[in-house]
Amino acid sequence: MTSTVRGDPTLGELVEHYVARRPGWFGLDGQATVIDDEIVVPGHPGIRDVVAEVNGTLVHLPVGLRAPTEENKALGGAEETVLGLHEGAEGVSVAFDAVRDQETAARLLQAVTGTRIDPQRVRQVRFDTSSSTLAFDDALDFTIFDRLVDGPHPGLELLVGLDRAGFNHVAAPVAIWRRGGRDLGVVQEHIVGGSSGWAMARTSVRDLYASRVSPEEAGGDFASEANRLGTMTARMHLTLAEAFPRRDESVASIVSSIEDHLRATDPSLLAAPETARLIEELKSPASSVSGGTSAVVRAHGDFHLGRVWRGEQGWMVVELTPGEHPVNRPGGVPGDADLDVDVGPGPFERSPLGDVADMLWSFGSVASVAAARRDPAGRENLGPLGQQWSKRNREAFLAGYLDVPGIADLVPKSRQAVQLLVNLFEINRLAGLGSRHRES
Amino acid sequence: MSNGNRSLKGNQPDWYRRAVFYEVPVRGFYDANNDGIGDFRGLREKLEYIQWLGVDCLWLLPYYPSPMRDGGYDIADYFSVHPDLGTTEDLVELIDDAHCRGIRIIADLVINHTSDEHPWFVESRSSRDNAYADWYIWSDDDKRWPEARIVFLDVETSNWTWDPVRGQYFWHRFYSHQPDLNYENPEVEQAMLGVVRHWLDLGLDGFRLDAVPYLFQRDGTTGEGLPETHALLRRLRKEIDAGYPDKVLLAEANDWPADLVDYFGQGDECHMCFNFPLMPRLFMAVRREQRFPVTEILSQAPEIPPGCQWAIFLRNHDELSLEKVTEEERDYMVAEYAKDPRMQRNLGIGRRLAPLLERDRRLVELLVALLLSLPGSPVWYYGDEILMGDNVYLGDRDSVRTPMQWSPDRNGGFSKADFAQLYLPPLMDPVFGYQAVNVEAQQRNPGSFLHWMRRMLQVRKSYEQFGTGDFEPVDCANPSVLAFVRAPEKGAGSHGAPGKGAGSHGAPGKGAESPGSPGEGAGAESPVLCVHNLSRFAQPAWLDLVKWSGRTPVELLGRVPFPPVASGLTHMTLGPHGFYWFELVEENPVDPEPRLEDS
Repeated sequence: MTSTVRGDPTLGELVEHYVARRPGWFGLDGQATVIDDEIVVPGHPGIRDVVAEVNGTLVHLPVGLRAPTEENKALGGAEETVLGLHEGAEGVSVAFDAVRDQETAARLLQAVTGTRIDPQRVRQVRFDTSSSTLAFDDALDFTIFDRLVDGPHPGLELLVGLDRAGFNHVAAPVAIWRRGGRDLGVVQEHIVGGSSGWAMARTSVRDLYASRVSPEEAGGDFASEANRLGTMTARMHLTLAEAFPRRDESVASIVSSIEDHLRATDPSLLAAPETARLIEELKSPASSVSGGTSAVVRAHGDFHLGRVWRGEQGWMVVELTPGEHPVNRPGGVPGDADLDVDVGPGPFERSPLGDVADMLWSFGSVASVAAARRDPAGRENLGPLGQQWSKRNREAFLAGYLDVPGIADLVPKSRQAVQLLVNLFEINRLAGLGSRHRES
Repeated sequence: MSNGNRSLKGNQPDWYRRAVFYEVPVRGFYDANNDGIGDFRGLREKLEYIQWLGVDCLWLLPYYPSPMRDGGYDIADYFSVHPDLGTTEDLVELIDDAHCRGIRIIADLVINHTSDEHPWFVESRSSRDNAYADWYIWSDDDKRWPEARIVFLDVETSNWTWDPVRGQYFWHRFYSHQPDLNYENPEVEQAMLGVVRHWLDLGLDGFRLDAVPYLFQRDGTTGEGLPETHALLRRLRKEIDAGYPDKVLLAEANDWPADLVDYFGQGDECHMCFNFPLMPRLFMAVRREQRFPVTEILSQAPEIPPGCQWAIFLRNHDELSLEKVTEEERDYMVAEYAKDPRMQRNLGIGRRLAPLLERDRRLVELLVALLLSLPGSPVWYYGDEILMGDNVYLGDRDSVRTPMQWSPDRNGGFSKADFAQLYLPPLMDPVFGYQAVNVEAQQRNPGSFLHWMRRMLQVRKSYEQFGTGDFEPVDCANPSVLAFVRAPEKGAGSHGAPGKGAGSHGAPGKGAESPGSPGEGAGAESPVLCVHNLSRFAQPAWLDLVKWSGRTPVELLGRVPFPPVASGLTHMTLGPHGFYWFELVEENPVDPEPRLEDS
């Protein structure tokens, strides 16, 4: 697949320098080898879509080309989006990041969708380490994958699978941008008006810590939302079980896999008494909960409050790519990115209770992060209140999840086994996280 | 107070879309003849106050002769007035005087049922073959229409009641002393059209139609909002349009938004309809400190036909109805707002605005800001402008119908009658009693809620967009912030004076002293941005206002220009329960700095 640079030997250098300094890419250093380069829009302003390999990472960058005499109309007028001067078949051009320029972004979208688009405004919605998302007139969201994988993009695969199976809690895909077996981007319907699950939960905890009453008495009680979120999550798993292959696995086997993971990543967690107790109860033949099975399905893999969105029509799953690390989320409330730790690509096939555990873990995380922000010195003793909040919402989420008809077919029959396995998955999630997040 | 001697000018067929309504029980407002009961003459004496406040239209609770077993909604004679309130002549003088001040008056009309003391019913029950025998709905058993729910669950067990006189059951959707009229009989409809013509001919400006969904019944249905009911409303509307072009019909139908719009028809049924589901969600949103209860219900509301308008309110003479919320939401609302079981009424909460919000003035102001800026014409409940309290120990819905508190004098200045004669005792507790809360004291205090409220009404009336503009939500990731733009109505230009943005002239409220002439001096061209913080804590907001980038937000209360809207997200900081209303003007309204040589 790798080839020498086609057409223009300077393009690789321009990309190389740009990826090293582009915000959000954390200075990807190393020589860029262009392995795929297509003229998407010829002439000026034109677009060349470049895939390059930098230090083993596949980088994707649509490069805009304007005549030097043309004013650079980059989004926000940012000079840092300019790559440099480029000489090619169209003569000398100013090369720039096409995604950061309203006109070329619209032309790119037009090329991907195959329909004429004349947006009045284009704005950045998200800007991650692995993708950039632009909104066009509150009608379409265009996500350009900045880091690629060979073969299907796991998040896109999940999105398309959910959408085709009729799951309406995702923004429906309108067009997929694919070339040479790689997924380059996706166009989706734009979700109007909403807030992240993290921001919603923070609002509730904020009210609780200020009120100092029990969570059920506090005005900002989150339990009904947590319950609905549980219901949506169960529907997601039922849809995934239909849309992708599923198999059943014994709980003992799942527990063994978790043990292996803990042994490899964080043996101290494996040795913790609570972990040992959970493993013992789930595996011991003498235990009343052992012997069950759980479905193993195509799961989300990194499912927490930061991955869901509360819109006018209820909860949505908005980020389907495990391991994304949003570094710049315009419009987020402070602290919105607290959950976005880079845990790496999650396991794509696992018990749905892995996703459930991720979410429950994030409830605890919200409570502790909020307490730390409000009372760094710990004088207010918010811990017990946060635990009450977390307990109430965990229960509400689980109730919403387990009450959905059909979900019993995907999880162990015994409610106690479900609870224990979820707890073990939570410990599994802690492995690999930094100490700050582990404490939470 | 100034007495602007303005009269209603010509026909203004959709005046109700820009109007501020004020709901008033005549018997509770002011007693001019000192018999302990408010009356038409009393209300007339207080028109100056109502005009000063900035009200465009009064809504009178039922004033008809009645045994008063349901606050007058049990009408015993459609063609005259209750003697406690005065005479028909008194009412006509009230209407004329109000019109001279540019204030319209609509009145409650109950067309679904009458009192069991109404002569029609007295005759109907007397035998099975009299002239009114089938003016009501009679049956030999009580089995029909089991799907129809019982509205007053607290007191009624069936929609049928046995009448020993006629030896049959009669149908009633409300109290058993309120038999439903039988609109299958065309004579009943004709009689009701006669009632409507009678009052409109006397000068009334329209009706608030009580309990409209229940006019017909059909087997296998809930008997609510049936096609036959809508057909009757269309015939009623046709009658109004033909003879009384600037009158209004306001429907009371406690239903979900998708069903409520049916009462507008194709613009050929009611002009207005109460948006019941919105109201409890406003209270829910501020308690939860997040906007979704409100935005969800707004997103469910279909577009309404041209010329129609929602009526929105915070509180009214009934309980805070929780019929149109989920069971979980109802439990939440009761837990948050009705901790004492005495505060609960039927499926709702019987409390006034101020006690409901525990006298948190910032919170009250936030809710008022929402009321005045969300789509619809606001309907204000008497006394809430001075933050009056309630008396949950009074029976039924009387808790929120106590006498208006005018002054710290005896009986709160409401009446000079003996205390024992008063129709209901005034509030006398140290917090909400008339010595602490009254109009006179608040008029003297420029910092009072009353003055603030009046100022808000002035601002609203200066910007036609609040009444007729389109509603455009503004994206904000902070769930505690509710932001939207009221943009000039598409195709606007037929009302008022478009192009005369108040911001351009620095004269907000210019039109506010001219009730009855909405649009004069109003800022009808620029969009108005409304940003509300539903949290009791200060909040940051990043608003997506790119559509209006380059425009200058000018704050409406102080006419203070803010930095122009950015091409990216616009940042704003909101105080606890704070809100801003901005006119987004195209020109730069910043005054040039004075130069030394000028002075």
